[in-house]
Amino acid sequence: MVEKVKEALRIKIADINITEISYAERGYHLSIEAQKGNIVSVVELFEGKGFYLADLCCVDYVDYLELVYFFNHHKELCRSRVTLKVESDRPVAPTISHIYTMARWYEREIHEFFGVYFEGHPNLTYLFLHEGIDYYPLRKNQIPIPADDKKLLNSFKPEEEEDAFFINLGPQHPSTHGVLRVVIKMDGEYILSAEPVLGYLHRMHEKMAENRTYQQFLPNPGRMDYMGALNFNLAHVTTVEKLCGIEVPERAQYIRTITCELNRIGSHLLWVGAFLADLGGLTPFLYVFDDREQILDILEAVTGSRLTYCYFRFGGLYNDVDDAFVDATKQFITRLRSRFAMYEKLITKNVIFINRVKGIGIIEQGMIRKYGSSGPVIRSTGMPFDIRKVEPYAAYDKIDFEIPTGTTGDNMDRYMVRMKEMEISLGIIEEAIKKLPSGPFKAEKVPKKLKPPRGDMYHTVESPRGELGVYVVSDESDTPYRMRWRVPSFSNLMTFPALARGTLIADAIATLGSYDIVVPEIDR
Amino acid sequence: MGERGFYLETKDPIIKFAITEKFLNLARANSLWPITFGLACCAIEMMATAMARFDIDRFGAGIFRASPRQSDLMIVSGTVTKKMAPTLVTLYEQMPSPKWVIAMGNCAISGGPFVFEGQYNLIEGVDLLVPVDVYIPGCPPRPEGLLEGLMKLEEKITGKRRFPTPEAKW
Repeated sequence: MVEKVKEALRIKIADINITEISYAERGYHLSIEAQKGNIVSVVELFEGKGFYLADLCCVDYVDYLELVYFFNHHKELCRSRVTLKVESDRPVAPTISHIYTMARWYEREIHEFFGVYFEGHPNLTYLFLHEGIDYYPLRKNQIPIPADDKKLLNSFKPEEEEDAFFINLGPQHPSTHGVLRVVIKMDGEYILSAEPVLGYLHRMHEKMAENRTYQQFLPNPGRMDYMGALNFNLAHVTTVEKLCGIEVPERAQYIRTITCELNRIGSHLLWVGAFLADLGGLTPFLYVFDDREQILDILEAVTGSRLTYCYFRFGGLYNDVDDAFVDATKQFITRLRSRFAMYEKLITKNVIFINRVKGIGIIEQGMIRKYGSSGPVIRSTGMPFDIRKVEPYAAYDKIDFEIPTGTTGDNMDRYMVRMKEMEISLGIIEEAIKKLPSGPFKAEKVPKKLKPPRGDMYHTVESPRGELGVYVVSDESDTPYRMRWRVPSFSNLMTFPALARGTLIADAIATLGSYDIVVPEIDR
Repeated sequence: MGERGFYLETKDPIIKFAITEKFLNLARANSLWPITFGLACCAIEMMATAMARFDIDRFGAGIFRASPRQSDLMIVSGTVTKKMAPTLVTLYEQMPSPKWVIAMGNCAISGGPFVFEGQYNLIEGVDLLVPVDVYIPGCPPRPEGLLEGLMKLEEKITGKRRFPTPEAKW
């Protein structure tokens, strides 16, 4: 695939600078330097080859800004990085939102945080920030927002339209998804358009990363996605380990796998409860919390916290697991397996539930590439794409497991995929415990002050919600120059406006619930 | 945004019936209806408190209302951002008096781990927006912590503690 892309690019654009990169060292295969004149045709070529836009971010190098586009293919692993340099004084770049729909949000994000103007973008308004802010937060120097740009950013005012009926879904929402606001324009009971407004929980994680050392940033990822805290913790830790070249002992890798899978089950369990609560059935909520508390007990004994774990360290773990952990985990596996039959009776075979979710919120396979969806959302459409299989990390390459997929991509499929995933996670834990080697749980000689070599690194893990990518740019100091988090819920939520259009509001709620979004993760 | 510790309703009512008031306070303390106001991580612990193991219903505070007009306790469970602040104040003002606020977690108390020089999106403590009755530290606080906070609020309303304090083991 790498060769094919290289050849096609050379044919289409004669004077383009392409370098092949060592995947093991950097986390991507190809680096392409595009110009303002040819970026659109480069992106069009990637689109034509069946790639999806994994990430779009910006790095401020003071003299110039660099837009970084990440592409990947669902069937064959080929991560490509396309860079585009723009001037730092009133930067302008061509939009790619007409090619990849997801770029619409990424470009809005870059516009408000860096001040890059995207020519031809349909709607450059505030997505995350509040109206009182008067500079671009992620720029290295404080650059004030010009008055005409401020007017542009503040132009989303749904309440001023007169002949329309609006419903505000949130930000105070009687469900668990956090403080998400969706402005829904109604025609009777039907939805004309739905526009998510984010940023009610923007906690400046990316800015904080630039202000503190790699070690000091350790507690943050767990607070980004509190449901899959260990997976986020792992993403941060493995990225820095790969960047610094730290070897992790075998035992630590297995324990990482076990705890991450326990965390995944906990997250999925809570989702089942929250989804059913969205649909109006509160009873399952009580049942899933009963199971989830068992997981929390197991994890609390080794990690020391109930929710926002910070268990992994660079080169290993905070402490070793004991026999009590192994026994408790085995007991939990037996317990949860016996509960699945009950869940099937309670939820899966419930006629009301089936009627509320079957055939509603269908995501087609053609859509997921445009939106960059991942995780259970993409697997429900029948695409067996899982980072744990494609780019194995921790000990996943030594464990045999299958990837559950759906067929139609409706809400029912997303539910079924997550239920099956829990069963498979139990299998992974069982096998990992069987293979758990003895030995050290921490690498020796990890320096107290990490100073990774100059360069960048893109690393992904499979969080309970999907593909989680971390892009770190290091400048040889002990703080990252830029740390970008590509979060799965953000791109999953992007499909919501398209799915909600023309449906009943009750069905839209079911669809919104089926994504399993965690808002602090979207807002970062 | 007011000053820290600024209280809106400090005046006593003009006519006060001592015994009736006492009786009413006892009723209020035992049927605190919280508004479902989950903001961030602490909201999950708030939900865990409402579930079977910790069961906040034992203390009459288990009926989480989605509407502020039906509730008299706001548990601010999570980080308050500048974008969220106007909504929080609106919700507080929509609640009928007498009403109480619990600041759950470090973020609601002072901004918690997200305060740094040059931060641009945080309200450093919910008490800058609304008066707070009970502060519960922790990141996030354990469900037991939230229950203890509820006991403290009951103590504040009725004037005496209903349950004995747990023995200190350490």
